[in-house]
Amino acid sequence: MEQIIFWEETLFTVAFIAYTLAALSFFVHVALKKELMGKIGVLLTSAGFVIHTAAIILRVIESGRLPFSNQFEFATSFTWGIVLCYLVLHYAYRFTAVGAFVMPIAFLVMGYASMLPKTIKPLMPALQSNWLYLHVGTAVISYGAFAVSAGLAAMYLIHLYQKKDDESKSSLLTAETCDYLSYRVIAFGYLMLTLVIVTGAIWAKAAWSRYWAWDPKETWSLITWLIYSVYLHLRFHRGWTGKPAAWFAVIGFLCVIFTFIGVNTLLAGLHSYLS
Amino acid sequence: MPQGLAAEMYIERYPSLANIIMTLQFDHVYTSVVFYVLLALFVVNLVGCTLKILPSQIQRTNKEYIMSPRNNAEELYQPGLNQDLLRQSLQKQRFSILEKEDGFVASKHRFGHIGSSITHLGIIVIIIGSIIGAVFADEGYFNLMPGDVKSFPEYGFALRLDDFSLGFRENGTVEQYYSKVSVLKADQPDKEATLWVNQPLAVSPLNFYQTSYGWASRLKIVNGSSEILLAKVLRNGESAFLQDNHMTVYLYGFYPNFTITSEGQPLTMTEEVKNPHYAVILYEFGEHVGSYIVEPGQPIERGEYQISFQDSVLYTGLTYRKDFGYAFVVAGSLLMFLGLIFSFYLYPKQVQVTSNSVKVMTRQNPWGMTFQVKKMVESAMTGEENASWNK
Repeated sequence: MEQIIFWEETLFTVAFIAYTLAALSFFVHVALKKELMGKIGVLLTSAGFVIHTAAIILRVIESGRLPFSNQFEFATSFTWGIVLCYLVLHYAYRFTAVGAFVMPIAFLVMGYASMLPKTIKPLMPALQSNWLYLHVGTAVISYGAFAVSAGLAAMYLIHLYQKKDDESKSSLLTAETCDYLSYRVIAFGYLMLTLVIVTGAIWAKAAWSRYWAWDPKETWSLITWLIYSVYLHLRFHRGWTGKPAAWFAVIGFLCVIFTFIGVNTLLAGLHSYLS
Repeated sequence: MPQGLAAEMYIERYPSLANIIMTLQFDHVYTSVVFYVLLALFVVNLVGCTLKILPSQIQRTNKEYIMSPRNNAEELYQPGLNQDLLRQSLQKQRFSILEKEDGFVASKHRFGHIGSSITHLGIIVIIIGSIIGAVFADEGYFNLMPGDVKSFPEYGFALRLDDFSLGFRENGTVEQYYSKVSVLKADQPDKEATLWVNQPLAVSPLNFYQTSYGWASRLKIVNGSSEILLAKVLRNGESAFLQDNHMTVYLYGFYPNFTITSEGQPLTMTEEVKNPHYAVILYEFGEHVGSYIVEPGQPIERGEYQISFQDSVLYTGLTYRKDFGYAFVVAGSLLMFLGLIFSFYLYPKQVQVTSNSVKVMTRQNPWGMTFQVKKMVESAMTGEENASWNK
């Protein structure tokens, strides 16, 4: 058992280093327009993802369950979700430069995870349900997608401050591509967030008797959902694309971060066992 | 802002805002008039919006409906395009073809037009369900010790706790707690069932939920001639009053596996009964007269009186709830999710092809669709299969 813990922590650290180096490589790729650095960034991200997955699998073997039950476990899973969403996007469209904006977010969340206690505790009675895996699993994917959309929105905003002649030589995606990709990724994250809320409500009904109790976590999940709802409505009905949409995507992601970290650390509620 | 506190707490915490908080009912904001008014306005808005857009959405699901291209829709036509190859590629992707004089219109997912209305309908059904739940809900909480019966005469049954037990892990921590109950109905055999957290019990129309547990201990006060003056069961934090000497016996807590912290506070290491002790505080005429840590049956001597605790047993805490609105909430959630799938993944797509033009029409994802149809057009030029469509 101790060996498994040793290897889990070692692989976690190696994955963290790989993500950090990947973020730096992508930065050099975008800043100095070095194609090779972009390829190295993708390689490091992919390798880091495989190693990170191995670390998570070892934790699953140690604990006998998926790593969804405390702040560290969600943070490492959240990072895994961010990198997964980025890699899916990358291998679908081969947009290397997106990594320069997404991997720093993965680095920050993984850094946050590395500062948290990693002890494995048995599941408390309320968490002993198969709904845990559906509820938190969809949250991992949803939050990962929102992180990628925020990265794409940041890339769009960078375009606004680039001179036209710089833009033509840039390794960044075109502004229109960033805008549309960000929207599509938000649409996916929004669908997943809807599942997070619905599965959470069904689970809460079985565990706590009420499907909705205005717990701070529930309320902030709803606020996040409403923010992205407004984003989607404004996009369709008011033509809010480009700059306002990009700012909305960034604000939405800040709300996601508050729901994840702020609510657990600042507000007491039914989800307080996560902190 | 914390919810559901006493008015004095808000006055103490927010002296300058307390009046506004209490007037606007922000101490219970989610059941306040302001909240209900906003919710009602939201529903009116949603219903109005849906009724406004639904007729035109239904019209658009017609096979003959031709979508208008965007102003900045990219022209994907290239000289040498083989229309038949492009038609075949689109048909393979399950586009239905409407032939035109100068080309054709390929359409897919026409029912995606009503996706947003289905989503809105789902949200309305959820809100209706929550209102029904709030209006007709019946809920409460009760404790039972083994052998106790809780009656629900209005529903024609009673619940008896047969046994309550804790499941322990190897390290002594509580893994789960179980209430073994019998449902008692007149003229029917008793029905046994076991509840635990995440495993509620349904006895129509109520659902019972395992919520908490605790210890109850038997208090006995005797005088010098061993005459029992008071015998009572106390839970942790409860007290008993003896009129004779105006004495209050307060059971601070029962500690099944007792230890004491470095700050001198009593603590139980586990819930297993390995080293049971009681923390007891005595008051006379409202004045504190002593604090004691005693073992089961060990008497506390106070003048001619002897006070002792023993026979601690676990009791269960159960919540019951009737909620007719829940079925609506689940149905509404499914509708909402279906609507979102229609809106974001089964959204309407159209490709309009003429002898000198190829344009894609979709509101949801023109960039992605243009990206993919462009590839199909390139394949239709060379005759290659386009395997990457709709990845």
